[in-house]
Amino acid sequence: MPDSDAPNSHQFFDQFLADYLVESEEHLTALRQELLALEHFVGKPQIDEALLDELFRRCHTLKGISGMVGLAEAEQVAHRMESYLRVLRQGQLPLSEHGLESLIASVRLLEQIIEARRSNAALPDITSVIAELSRLSQNTDSDHGVAPTAKPPMQRATGQGVRLWRFEFMPSRELVERGINVNTARARLQEIGEIRRSVPLVKAQGQIAFGFVVASSADESVFAGWRDDGLEYAAVDAGSEVTPSDEALLEQQPAAGLPRATSNVVRVDLTRLDDLMSLVGDLVMSRARLENRIKQLRTVLDAPEWRPLQETSSLMERQLRDLRHAVMRVRMVQIGEIFERMRFVIRDLARENRKKVALDVSGQNTEIDKFVVERMMDPLLHLVRNAVSHGLESSEERLRSGKSAEGLIRLRARTAGERVIIEIEDDGRGIDVEKVEQRARERGLIAPGTHIDDDTLLDIITAPTFSTQDKANRESGRGVGLDVVKNSVEELKASISLWTERGRGTRFSIHLPLTLAIADVLLALVEGQTFAVPQAAVQEIIEVEPQAVSVLENNEVISYRGGVLPLVRLAKVFRLAANGGGRSFHVFVIGSGPNAAGLVVDRVIGQREVVVRAASDPLLQVPGISGATEIGDGRVVLILNVEKLLLPAAEYEQRLSG
Amino acid sequence: MRTPGSETFVIMEIAGTAYGVHSHSVQQLEMVESITLVPNAAPSVEGVVFSRGNVVPAISLRARFGFEKIPYDLRTRLVVISSGTRLVGLIADSAREYISIPAEAIQPPPEAITGASVNYVQGVATVGGRVVIILNVDEVIHGIAEPPPDGSPDSVSDVQASM
Repeated sequence: MPDSDAPNSHQFFDQFLADYLVESEEHLTALRQELLALEHFVGKPQIDEALLDELFRRCHTLKGISGMVGLAEAEQVAHRMESYLRVLRQGQLPLSEHGLESLIASVRLLEQIIEARRSNAALPDITSVIAELSRLSQNTDSDHGVAPTAKPPMQRATGQGVRLWRFEFMPSRELVERGINVNTARARLQEIGEIRRSVPLVKAQGQIAFGFVVASSADESVFAGWRDDGLEYAAVDAGSEVTPSDEALLEQQPAAGLPRATSNVVRVDLTRLDDLMSLVGDLVMSRARLENRIKQLRTVLDAPEWRPLQETSSLMERQLRDLRHAVMRVRMVQIGEIFERMRFVIRDLARENRKKVALDVSGQNTEIDKFVVERMMDPLLHLVRNAVSHGLESSEERLRSGKSAEGLIRLRARTAGERVIIEIEDDGRGIDVEKVEQRARERGLIAPGTHIDDDTLLDIITAPTFSTQDKANRESGRGVGLDVVKNSVEELKASISLWTERGRGTRFSIHLPLTLAIADVLLALVEGQTFAVPQAAVQEIIEVEPQAVSVLENNEVISYRGGVLPLVRLAKVFRLAANGGGRSFHVFVIGSGPNAAGLVVDRVIGQREVVVRAASDPLLQVPGISGATEIGDGRVVLILNVEKLLLPAAEYEQRLSG
Repeated sequence: MRTPGSETFVIMEIAGTAYGVHSHSVQQLEMVESITLVPNAAPSVEGVVFSRGNVVPAISLRARFGFEKIPYDLRTRLVVISSGTRLVGLIADSAREYISIPAEAIQPPPEAITGASVNYVQGVATVGGRVVIILNVDEVIHGIAEPPPDGSPDSVSDVQASM
């Protein structure tokens, strides 16, 4: 294969794999929930059919899509799960505790396989799980003759050397002129083998393409030249032969008679939403310009002509605000999905630690930015593990101290203003403050005589490698975990707090921003450069005439609401050539009461919702800058951290000027 | 074609001298369009740009190597390189060549120029009668002072003169 073609087919397959990873994740999440629901039917003669059908359908889909990316291990596990579920569905066997355990173990294994594929790590061994599932399904085979592996009806002998290929045909005007269209492409593919599947695809620019999966024994050299005719291809799994079970995955429809769950969910890439948001931002700016023009027309037009213009503009403003919120809401997902996952983890841990645990969940509908949710998963998982493994006592210990045998874990989420609060609470033994204190002193983490309150305690237990565990604990990894939790939380610009009481329990509260990626900013010009100031930080914008400024020693002040307001000139702090003397200027009033200060810019030029990007390179770590954004022309606009700039203003300027 | 025992380099020109950077560290070459000044950043940090959605600092190699800055023109290139987890843009007078240099053609830097100030020189190669200085890009980047607590007024006006 010529070198120059390689990137294309790589991209082609990478995209395919990326889709698979997203889709399989969804199915795994659903499978976990459904298996928990299935638990109620252990030992019962009848199992809810709809539930079994749903489980069956999930496994079937997972099997199919895993085969499409050549992940044979996942395919086989899903296949065996499907076989066992079929046996259950046919009512041949009641669901045993052991059966449920095996299904759960299979889901966990699927997770590991897919994660290994994602990170290109070695795949886990699947033989024991496969063997267990086969044994479970086989228990009934002698009576009913249902093969454990449920031989697919379409199975036919596959010769040596048959491989699966994915082809993609992208029609174009040029190809049509050369007499090549989807039908001729299909005919070619039929010549080299069997078309197992064909699907229309919509590409990034709205172009239509056609995807085919072809089983062929032909040598690649036969069709390598077809790339010039618009037929891209990639091996489904380089090097692997087609196995009989590959046949099943190529069935176009799930097994007959199964209801297909209808889903109204559309997967959208976050960057596309960012693009959408920036388009909305452009609209907001255009409307602002329109509004300006309309204001100017007021002197020219008669009131009856002018007023409708003004009213329409105001209406547009409201509609645009609604539109912005609607787009923002698309990024939000419910936290319930994460909580469900915790339910699964808690169930496992409880079993492992031989503890009885009840879970109380509230606020599942609380919405939070997708970006934040993904990064919260690990810290939450860790806190939950800690709560079950260390927080809760054993049943005997609980009974001795007059508690119910069953421990309680509470997961709560709620919105408070611009923040979301997530709480993980247990009613266990509480943190042993004396023990922590003793250990902290031994390690020199605290000065003698330090009073230990909850905040200090949190600092100690989240210090790197701190642990009061006497021996290593697999799940919680001693104290290693909590510093990771703290770091992740801080990366999200979130904060964490702790409450604990001996004998009563422990609670971690995480305060998260609703969204990280989007902020309302005011755009201001300073010496020709545009800066963005987070709107949330600004109390008021005032226009100041130069003569209103008084100089008090080294400071400039203006009178403001019966007091004085110290001014900080951005041009000066940022050492931008100052030549704007003599004209009026705009001031952002930041903070309130005695802490209020005014940030001086030349002009405020607009308000906008922007996509915030981190400016994390060390070379860009300058005081007073918190990130960067782009407002449509491709130029970077720096986002200011006004608190850092102003408080305390004098000190900052001093520090800068050395 | 890459032959065994040779490596490929992107050649940048700065003040008439050719500098080579390993092609595997080069992410892309871009025209220099709009660079946003970063106030109080190190003198050789020209500013910040977006490169494929990433916020990337742009470093003037002229400033970094102690040459006088010149205005950008159509030949000016931003060479975006990766160094560890970082992405950094290097501004060169031009960057048009992609060449393969046999390993034996690369010599260690001459004694005369090895010193703390030039530890970004990894080697010197002679290619077709032309001298190419092979850069250690990690050192080029790491040698830049973090934003100074007090940027001297001179360095600030330099930055602005070239904007």
